[in-house]
Amino acid sequence: MKRSKLSALTLAIMLSVAATLATTAGARPDAKTGASANSVTVLSLWGGAEKDAFLKVLAGFTKKTGIKVQYETARDFLPVIRTRVAAGNPPDVAIIPRPGVLADLAREGAIKDLGTMGMSKGSLQRNYSKAWIDLGTVDGKIYGIAAKANSKSVIWYSPATFKEMGLKVPKTWAQLLAVTKAIKAAGETPWAVGAKDSWTLTDWFENIYVRSGGPDKYTALFSGKLSFADPSVATALRQMTSIINDDYVAGGIEGALGTGFVDGIGRVFGTNPDAHLYMEGGFVGGIALGDVNPKLKPGVTIQEAPFPTINARFGSPVVGGGDLAGAFKDTPEVRALLAYLSSREAGKIWVSTGAIVSPNKNVPASAYPNVLVRAEAKQVAAAKVFRFDGSDLLPGSLGEDWGTLLQNVIQKPGDINKLLSDFQKKAVKAFKA
Amino acid sequence: MSQGPTPVPASEVRGRLRRLAQASPWEATQGLVFVLPALVILATFLVYPAIWTIRLSLDRGRGLRFEQWVGLDNYKELLTDDPSFLDLHRFPPQGALVNNLKWMVLYTGLCIALGLVLAVLAGRVRYERLVKASVFVPMSIAATAVGVIWLFVYSPDPHIGLLNAITTRLGADPVSWVGRESTVNYAIIVAYVWFSAGFAMVVLSAALKGISTEIVEAARVDGAGEWAVFRRILMPMISLPLAVVAVWLIINVIKVFDVIYIMTRGGPGASSRVIAYSMFFETFENGRGGYGAAVAVVMLLLIVPIMALNVRRFRSERVTT
Repeated sequence: MKRSKLSALTLAIMLSVAATLATTAGARPDAKTGASANSVTVLSLWGGAEKDAFLKVLAGFTKKTGIKVQYETARDFLPVIRTRVAAGNPPDVAIIPRPGVLADLAREGAIKDLGTMGMSKGSLQRNYSKAWIDLGTVDGKIYGIAAKANSKSVIWYSPATFKEMGLKVPKTWAQLLAVTKAIKAAGETPWAVGAKDSWTLTDWFENIYVRSGGPDKYTALFSGKLSFADPSVATALRQMTSIINDDYVAGGIEGALGTGFVDGIGRVFGTNPDAHLYMEGGFVGGIALGDVNPKLKPGVTIQEAPFPTINARFGSPVVGGGDLAGAFKDTPEVRALLAYLSSREAGKIWVSTGAIVSPNKNVPASAYPNVLVRAEAKQVAAAKVFRFDGSDLLPGSLGEDWGTLLQNVIQKPGDINKLLSDFQKKAVKAFKA
Repeated sequence: MSQGPTPVPASEVRGRLRRLAQASPWEATQGLVFVLPALVILATFLVYPAIWTIRLSLDRGRGLRFEQWVGLDNYKELLTDDPSFLDLHRFPPQGALVNNLKWMVLYTGLCIALGLVLAVLAGRVRYERLVKASVFVPMSIAATAVGVIWLFVYSPDPHIGLLNAITTRLGADPVSWVGRESTVNYAIIVAYVWFSAGFAMVVLSAALKGISTEIVEAARVDGAGEWAVFRRILMPMISLPLAVVAVWLIINVIKVFDVIYIMTRGGPGASSRVIAYSMFFETFENGRGGYGAAVAVVMLLLIVPIMALNVRRFRSERVTT
């Protein structure tokens, strides 16, 4: 056979194999039953102390119903869930960290309408307030139930240090700035910021914006109805940089950008602290006590205070986050698990670990184990105005892009307006997509 | 005293090929049958996915399905409207594509320079084995571990970060090496060079040992100095292995992902992104399968010319190993 004929034949064989694959693999494989009867697979991104707490809840479920649960952790939740859904091999239940992602999955048809699975609005109203039910609602149908809640409007400090320095817990923005300047004047660094994890910056912005622009503008901004180039956004950003700047942050802006969220906690509460104030959610307590410095004494060397007010008219709304449990398959075991997770019983077990605040309104305050979580639960329950973490509401990866923008803002505050107008162009595209 | 495998003259090669082409149909079919399993595997895992990805890049591709034909829109947006991928409006240009170019030049250059210097110098000392082993050891750990180790080295907290501990001892302020846009890319490149310089060194050292000592001695007798020996004799004689190492490093760099993912996730902002990271981010974090596939195709287009050059060189008249 001539050489050119040989290579032509080779090519033909390869292409025909490829074509065969194309036609047979074109059909989406049916969802395989990953779980055998009487067991459920659950996927979430929780590891460490959060995972242990959740496993306790699942143990309670298995004890009550006899259904076994296979739990998997995926720190890289988004890529894993997208690949598994595309491969036709999703978990039975997944705990989704962002309502934006829940909405994406719902519109793609990957998760099931819980209303058809026995979880009507009426049945959920027994355990959840309207705000939490709405969170899991996409286009009028319920796709997720709130599993875990936390407040992000919290400032962490050490009461012992405050007493030493003669400082009072700030209740207004002006007082916060005064405390910052006082610590700086005493020769110490006031704040630690974990800016490497850009979502910490988004929490800063959300707390400031909901208090300076107001809860209505907040809702409009994060649902795409208000332009990011609106002057109220720039004002809030400038307020943010009045604290997050080279003078007041440990390591300066560059140091902050090289410090992750947990390392930031370590800078204030670790064994070699070099800063005194940290702003992040209620979960900081659990991580500080569990992973960073077990020698901390809640109430003495670590305590939380609500984020101060900025504009007295808007008071102190709570910006919070939460995880939503969604179902990819409709089986009796899945229905049992979801019913259990939304029950008061599960809530009590979960909060007893000190890891979470339960969005379930029937969980009593006495179930919380330490003064830190109790304070956070009180803040969440007593909030007159509650807003969900804005960057988690944004569609697609716009939330990450927003975090990136904030990292750029603290490096170059002079570019605020240009960065915002560029971002608004991206936002318009993302909200339409 | 080895001279390496004897090169086969071109005429001989042509003769062999002619004989192959004149094989009987039975012999040719036999050959094809033997090769068939490999062809099927290649077709399944190489050809089919490549064609599928190209098709996906012409689609919107949400959920990694073919859902809406968009033609070349993804490429248009990628190359003109995505500042995190290619930003020509600023000087110097920025973006993932530009970062890969930085990697190509700096990483390849540093690896080869270090590898060469170490290979030449190590060959002259008694503790050669110790030097080579310690330079090669980083290659035995995963790139992920390299990222984690160097994150600790670069930590902005002088109590943790080795580099900042040294600089603060010398009196300077601590620097956030991976938190600064101006230094982050170079910091990651240094970490990866630490990881792979050993490979370059080992290959070049083997190549150097293949050079007959007679030639070098003759040159020295003729009065050539060390530098002249290096430049005029050693370098030309290892040009083929050097080219192989260079090509391997360049292809590696176009695909580099793990160390960036671990160390900075492409941050701060998007300043340390590379093409492979953009592909991952757009496909999985962003859910835009078609757009991510377009990035993958761009990466393919960058690698293809280099592979073609490589293949052509291997096919050339001097058939040496």
